[in-house]
Amino acid sequence: MQRTALAVVLALLVVTAGAQDIEHLIPPGYVPEEAKDEQGLWLELEEYERELNKSALLVRDAEIVNYLNGIVCRVAGDYCDDFRVYIVRNPGFNASMTATGMMQIWTGMIVRATSTDELAAVIGHEIAHYTRLHSLERLRSLKAKMATASFFDLGLAVLTGVSAPVGQAAAILSFLSFNREQETEADLLGTKLLADAAYDPHAAYRVWHRLLDEEAAAEVKREKPGLFSQTHPNSEERADYLEEFVRSRYGEPHAGDTADPALLAILNRHYLLLMEDQLDTNRFGRTQELLQRHVQIGVEPALVNFFYGEMYRQRGRDGDIELAIEAYTSAVSSPNTPPEAHKNLGYLYLKKKDVANAQAQFRRYLEARPDASDRAMIEFYLEEDAR
Amino acid sequence: MRRITCLAILTMAGLAGCVMSYSLVAPGLVTVQDLKLQADGNWNRAPANYVPLSRRDAETWTRDGLLLDRLVIVPGVPDGEPVLYSREPTAALPVFRADMLPNEIEELVESSLVKVFGEGQSVVNTANLRPQRFGEHPGVMFDFEATVTDSPEYRGTAGAFVANDRLYLVYFIGAVPHYYDKHLASATAIIQSALL
Repeated sequence: MQRTALAVVLALLVVTAGAQDIEHLIPPGYVPEEAKDEQGLWLELEEYERELNKSALLVRDAEIVNYLNGIVCRVAGDYCDDFRVYIVRNPGFNASMTATGMMQIWTGMIVRATSTDELAAVIGHEIAHYTRLHSLERLRSLKAKMATASFFDLGLAVLTGVSAPVGQAAAILSFLSFNREQETEADLLGTKLLADAAYDPHAAYRVWHRLLDEEAAAEVKREKPGLFSQTHPNSEERADYLEEFVRSRYGEPHAGDTADPALLAILNRHYLLLMEDQLDTNRFGRTQELLQRHVQIGVEPALVNFFYGEMYRQRGRDGDIELAIEAYTSAVSSPNTPPEAHKNLGYLYLKKKDVANAQAQFRRYLEARPDASDRAMIEFYLEEDAR
Repeated sequence: MRRITCLAILTMAGLAGCVMSYSLVAPGLVTVQDLKLQADGNWNRAPANYVPLSRRDAETWTRDGLLLDRLVIVPGVPDGEPVLYSREPTAALPVFRADMLPNEIEELVESSLVKVFGEGQSVVNTANLRPQRFGEHPGVMFDFEATVTDSPEYRGTAGAFVANDRLYLVYFIGAVPHYYDKHLASATAIIQSALL
């Protein structure tokens, strides 16, 4: 009942928005000059940004940074200079924007995208929050509710979204999130920005379909929605109303997904960095869903097969050793395979008591990585026959 | 008199039940379940409820405080169980399997440490996997580094072996700079002394 009512409200908002465009509320280069609370907020956020700049979890690779900066600038248009983009190593799905234009994009967002357009869709949404001054609205709403001295500390955690420990941030966010109207506004203005920048507006709802696919594939469902979902309409509602809006305004999508050389180049060159943290979550259903996605969009097969091998081997169910051997064998047939594929294939042969094949793979690993930090361990197995 | 005695007993029982505190680890042979270790001085055993995600049969020792250094002793993890403990069904803790080879034990600890430091809040990398004997049992040692949001960097070293299909794991974590270097030698000696 509650859900139906919500859907009706959202549909009304979309229809209203369709009739009258949602516009930016501030000009490019905006700096608050009058409101004291807004100036205070900026000071706090600038301090937070200085701290974030020192974080060892930031991805500083120029190629990745330039790729995402390029998307932000194209979507932002005249507002390009207002934003600083920080890419944070985190396997989750999230992006956030502060009132000062500090944008954080988690690496989990990159591995979940099947096109640059999808990344642009999320970025457009965040830019819309910025130009609609949603953070300031949120701050004033929060201030009206609170009379404690910790207001700014709490507000900072809310407005940056990722600085507090997960549990604490989640609790705060669920209490003090953007409201649904703000989210819908950001969705609709974000989609307009996406289309104006000549990205595919249909990516606006495809992002949410991808999230739904992932949740369906997950072995361990999230008892509570992830941080992003807690502060936003749920993925299903959002996919539905955005699809309706985009189809009515921009027409039907062009035939299927097409290759995206820019995203593929990023994934192919940085796959180990981007997928390593996902693997460490131990969430195999989700990892498998992402790998299937990467096969479909044409990520280098040797890399995807390596991670299929890793995923099956670490999952360790009946039959997974065989699946992992198959995946690694496929990976090592390409010169683009990570040397670790040889090593881990070697270990699987050891499990199968196939010492000759194990040692052959171990030798290839050491040839490819002569300065391997686990050389002593590998040499232990290479010398096993002699003992 | 009888009433006073009863009150005293109740008070003592209440105190014993409520007050959890660190206890000094006596130097010399220490037994944690069936795992034996040689401890040198000045380690303090932390109350179990001070260490989130700790298995009930595990012990955590520290010298300068749990946020700065800790030596974690996890004895006899059975096949199919995680090296950590959580009542949270969505935790997705990695699980030990008795047929794990060295690379997989290293990965098990790496993924488990990600849960300890916070999934999404940390990146953990392992290195220097090498053979190590623990008494009559062949095992491994390896080192690790953890980068954590809003926290100092941590480094650590771990030793592990499998006996009777159970995993025995001892690892040390120290904040960088200072605390890792300060306690590494003592912690490494304790790890390498582990045997059944």
